[in-house]
Amino acid sequence: MSLVQMSRLSVTRLALHAQNHHLLLSSSVSPLITFKRTMLQDPYRRPGQPKENKFPWEKINFDLSKGLAGIKKHFALLKKEFADRWVGPEGKPIIEHLLEQNRVVWEFRGPESLEDWVVSSDREIGGHSEAYLKIGRNNNTCLLYGTLNSTPPRDGETRYSGYCTMKSKQQLSSFDRKKHFDWTSFNTLHLRVRGDGRPWMINIGFETYFSHQKDDLYSYFLYTRGGPYWQDVKIPFSKFFLTHRGRIQDDQHCLWLDKVNSIGFTLGDKADGPFQLEIDFIGVCKDYAHTEEFAYEVYKRNPEV
Amino acid sequence: MNPFTLALLFFGLLLGTTITLTSSHWLVAWMGLEINTLAIIPLMAKQHHPRATEATTKYFLTQATAAATLLFASTTNAWLTGQWDIQLMTHPIPTTIIILALALKIGLAPLHTWLPEVLQGLDLFTGLILSTWQKLAPFSLLLQIPAANQQVLILLGLASTLVGGWGGLNQTQLRKILAYSSIAHLGWMLIILQFTPSLTLLALITYVIMTSSLFLIFNYNTTTNINSLATAWAKAPLLTSIAPLLLLSLGGLPPMTGFMPKWLILQELTKQQLPMTATIAALTALLSLYFYLRLSYAMTLTITPNNLANTTPWRLPSMKRALPITITALSTTLLLPLAPAMLALVTL
Repeated sequence: MSLVQMSRLSVTRLALHAQNHHLLLSSSVSPLITFKRTMLQDPYRRPGQPKENKFPWEKINFDLSKGLAGIKKHFALLKKEFADRWVGPEGKPIIEHLLEQNRVVWEFRGPESLEDWVVSSDREIGGHSEAYLKIGRNNNTCLLYGTLNSTPPRDGETRYSGYCTMKSKQQLSSFDRKKHFDWTSFNTLHLRVRGDGRPWMINIGFETYFSHQKDDLYSYFLYTRGGPYWQDVKIPFSKFFLTHRGRIQDDQHCLWLDKVNSIGFTLGDKADGPFQLEIDFIGVCKDYAHTEEFAYEVYKRNPEV
Repeated sequence: MNPFTLALLFFGLLLGTTITLTSSHWLVAWMGLEINTLAIIPLMAKQHHPRATEATTKYFLTQATAAATLLFASTTNAWLTGQWDIQLMTHPIPTTIIILALALKIGLAPLHTWLPEVLQGLDLFTGLILSTWQKLAPFSLLLQIPAANQQVLILLGLASTLVGGWGGLNQTQLRKILAYSSIAHLGWMLIILQFTPSLTLLALITYVIMTSSLFLIFNYNTTTNINSLATAWAKAPLLTSIAPLLLLSLGGLPPMTGFMPKWLILQELTKQQLPMTATIAALTALLSLYFYLRLSYAMTLTITPNNLANTTPWRLPSMKRALPITITALSTTLLLPLAPAMLALVTL
């Protein structure tokens, strides 16, 4: 049905036709009206699967005991937030904030530390890679291991495949509000890892505002060396470059450290086979000798001649 | 930025404020406010960083909402009273709506939530323009409106001093601290608006001078958080030694200039039989004073662990302009003895 014909329809007929919206519009134009799905909080849709057309109220599960436990938890968090304010910024006295030069942000000292992390692989889109996360020996490290398989899934949409990733969960304060990391006192990311020689990508997720920035990440490489020795990796934050859905952007800006949400490690090096990455800790530190603000220059894309 | 564009935008800022300052018709005043908003938008987005764009968008949305509400209320007033004169607003409902719209424009509590985020996304110089110049036009309108609703003005004022003090307590980002200090000072200005508008103008002028000095000092040191402020002693030791005086002036302690508006406002409130309001305002000013003291502690009274004695950086002459800092810093510390002259200056 062309746009001209659509404009002649009455509103009710238009609404009826919206059910079969793939017939209404050509496939190159995205749907102008979506009645049943909210555009903001779509959960992940595996390519090749049909879209789930449920109204929001059809997705609610009521449970009184869970509700009461939730109220207690959130009010306790709120009280802690108020109480922390008396002490100082981020719950630490100001003198500690001034003197802080290193901070361990994520440490793997027990199975409960794995709750903060989400592991996923291309199994979500129908691929054959596997990725698992477990606590290493002596409860001292975490081990991300699995198998990479770059055979693309046969769903007619996906062309490339073969990735595994581990990402930290978004920290939440009371009432499920986002809590950001404030790393302005630091300028270097410090990790202690033991890999198997594969090149990994470190992605830092920062707080965004516009919906089209949803998949914006700051990335940098992590070249692991394999071998039995631990590797101390220090990457200044000025080296991170802006990517969107994995593609480097032309318009680069430095990473602002006052609202960092998450960190993630991705492996997608097109080499099929098993992989392992052992992480001891992830921290941030302040390197006083590093004065670079941003490592990349931006040139005019269309210079006038 | 292209110098012609920059000149045009600054001229637009100047024009907008001047139009509002010299207008007696609501439509002309609204027009001046809109010109101001539109002229500062490219200045804010100049950085092209996503955070700057976010700050610009938030600023534009709030200011447009406030301007639309202002237009609506002035139209309602014209409908009810038949005239558009700013000083002849008699009906209480449009007057209250206009006060709330102007409160959103300048960032008074409880309509203040945009101000810290917006200031945080900007560089220090644009933040300075936002905190000082952009407050002049709305205040000119607030000063002219016949003070109708006693409760809403005092409520806005006290809420602002409280929120400005409480909200700034555990910030480590300097721009957010200055945003909350701005909210607190605006609260002080609004408390006394209906009794002695000349004191509001005095408070505004002293606030503009004091906050300009601070912004310029932070710009000189290129510092945006408390930890980098702590290294200011190596970059500009003389500035570091007078900065606590400026911060204490902002906190309203004698014998600095900042004491003048606070003292006169408290005196006037007591004369108007509002001792409770005066007490609450004075107590909430203590909260602001705490974070000013924290800034002066971090800047001047401590030496950070990084710069050891043998790694002091070269004290090269700075290329930044120091004259504005000189003028504003002197004015921030030494104008208290001139109180009678300043009062005579601002008597409307």
